[in-house]
Amino acid sequence: MRLLPLFRIARRHLGHSPFRTALSVVGVAIGDCFMILLSALMAGFEAKFVDETVESSPHVTVLDEFRDPPDEFAGWLSRRTGGVVSVESAHPRERVYRIKKPWETLAAIEERPGVAAAALEVVGTSILNFGNREVGAALVGIDPEAQDRVVATDDYMTEGRLSDLHSASGAIILGNGLAERLGVKRGDTIGAALRGGGTARALRVVGVFKTGVVPVDAVRAYTLVGLAQQLLGLGRDVNRIVARLDDHAEAQSVAADLEATVGYRTESWQEQNENFLSLFNIQTVITYVVTSGITIVAAFGILNVLIMLVLEKLPEIAMLKSMGFTAADVTVVFLVEGLAIGAMGVLFGSIGGYWLQQALASLPIPMKGLIEIEHLIFVDPPRVYLVAAGVSFASTVFASCVPALRAGRLDPVVTLRGRA
Amino acid sequence: MSGAATAPAMETVALKRTLGAGENALEILHGLDLAIGRGEFCAIMGPSGSGKSTLMYLLGALDRPTSGAVRIDGVDTSRLSESALAEVRNRKIGFVFQFHYLMPEFSARENVAMPLAKQGVATREAAARADELLALLGLAGKERRLPARLSGGEQQRVAIARSLANRPLVVLGDEPTGNLDTKNGDVVFDLFERLVAERGQTIVVVTHDPRLAARTQRIIRLQDGRIVDDGPPREVLARAGERG
Repeated sequence: MRLLPLFRIARRHLGHSPFRTALSVVGVAIGDCFMILLSALMAGFEAKFVDETVESSPHVTVLDEFRDPPDEFAGWLSRRTGGVVSVESAHPRERVYRIKKPWETLAAIEERPGVAAAALEVVGTSILNFGNREVGAALVGIDPEAQDRVVATDDYMTEGRLSDLHSASGAIILGNGLAERLGVKRGDTIGAALRGGGTARALRVVGVFKTGVVPVDAVRAYTLVGLAQQLLGLGRDVNRIVARLDDHAEAQSVAADLEATVGYRTESWQEQNENFLSLFNIQTVITYVVTSGITIVAAFGILNVLIMLVLEKLPEIAMLKSMGFTAADVTVVFLVEGLAIGAMGVLFGSIGGYWLQQALASLPIPMKGLIEIEHLIFVDPPRVYLVAAGVSFASTVFASCVPALRAGRLDPVVTLRGRA
Repeated sequence: MSGAATAPAMETVALKRTLGAGENALEILHGLDLAIGRGEFCAIMGPSGSGKSTLMYLLGALDRPTSGAVRIDGVDTSRLSESALAEVRNRKIGFVFQFHYLMPEFSARENVAMPLAKQGVATREAAARADELLALLGLAGKERRLPARLSGGEQQRVAIARSLANRPLVVLGDEPTGNLDTKNGDVVFDLFERLVAERGQTIVVVTHDPRLAARTQRIIRLQDGRIVDDGPPREVLARAGERG
């Protein structure tokens, strides 16, 4: 098969009706462009969320509990009797949740290769009040210097500094959402209920932080370790160790490794944010479903245009065949036309997708959801363009095949007889 | 040329062609035996529905017989694959139809060169040959025009030039003057006569016009799918006149 004359015929067909050609190219380009745009936007939000999460929370957290619950009497009895006896409403044993030998454990974690820094934390829930407003807070007792090495907390301070925790005996730093809910600002004095009774403790707000991760900013508060232990009624116990890694991508394997070493349940940042991360997977699927829909519509556009073209060219197809062009030759002509439309559409779609990202990213569009942003964020690795191009092109090929094969199969005698 | 030089250019043996299938089957040609010699200029006449076009498609390897045989240059077309048939059309046949079927996106020269492009002839060489043929047909200077910018007669002459581009064994014309006025019809037949006289070109044309048919060397009359008369134009036309 000599392709050159076939390519020339295809090119002339497309060039002869530029408006129709342009229209179908635009159809493909729009599908491709929006697929790029949506994918890049979704990837942008995901990347932003991951970034904020990775930066604003520890990469690995050692908890004061075990992954497998301790063997309770009820389960033991049931197994021993082969399921004949079952104990219901068993009361869990009273036990104190804490990390034993915290300093030794901390040292062991810090020595592990890949761990950049580690710090002790005391965490618990505390009720804060200002006037008669009461808000539950996730209280975190920290050593400001050690903490800042694990999570760059000081960078997120909007008022005051992390080290201001040392400035007063009852100093507390609040997330901006929490401060808003309480209606307090820096310098105000708030109350905190003491766990296990007793009069409320007066605390002084020495700073406000904002990580940009809305659920964190709405509940978290920092105090010194000693104060947190007092507020939470923990005595001298520490119940969490947080660590920063050299490479946050390795958090899952390091967490598993640490858990095996220290025995306590150890979670990576991915595990702690599993809900949100799985949300992004669903979001990606939805994105592809929607954009595939757009692409399919564009493919139908091509199908339409090519079917019209074939119908219009019936006599020419008959003539080509009577000149000795084969069915395959004729199919190639129309297939090439479809593919050319697809290729041009992908090209313009990619350019348009890139350009629209720049344009939209420069617009101030503030939004506050899971994360807080000032403008839309796009992340466009080559994969985004390649996937969109692949899907658009594949649907074009598919749409071109039907009319192209039909054109090839046309019996010239039927056409000629009908016209003569 | 593959066939023996002594074989007729085209030959049919007990040629039958049925269109449709089952209850709707209709036999168009009822067993035709016909031989067309090399260099012959021959007209096929007959009323509408007599099977003239069907015969042309079979002679031109566009269609295959239901039974019997069509031999083009000694080769039986019913044994050939689709692509081999296309090859026969490309090498041995030049078609001219009632409508010119020129490709509107291509110039006169490019239209004429199209069968050569299919053969793989270099563009420059094909263009030179196209120009030569267009000049032969009185279209020198109009090589670069699109078909839409040519008159009806000129368009049909371009179509004839195209049918000659591959130096075909036989030019088949299915009412090539059917869409032209008398003057242009005469021009086309002048051309055919010249091609036969100067180049020994074999030409078979279907026509309704006895005046034009009289200019050929042989008239074959078809009626209801059978050959009812075959001979020199004067005699055939005289016998047709007697019958009314």
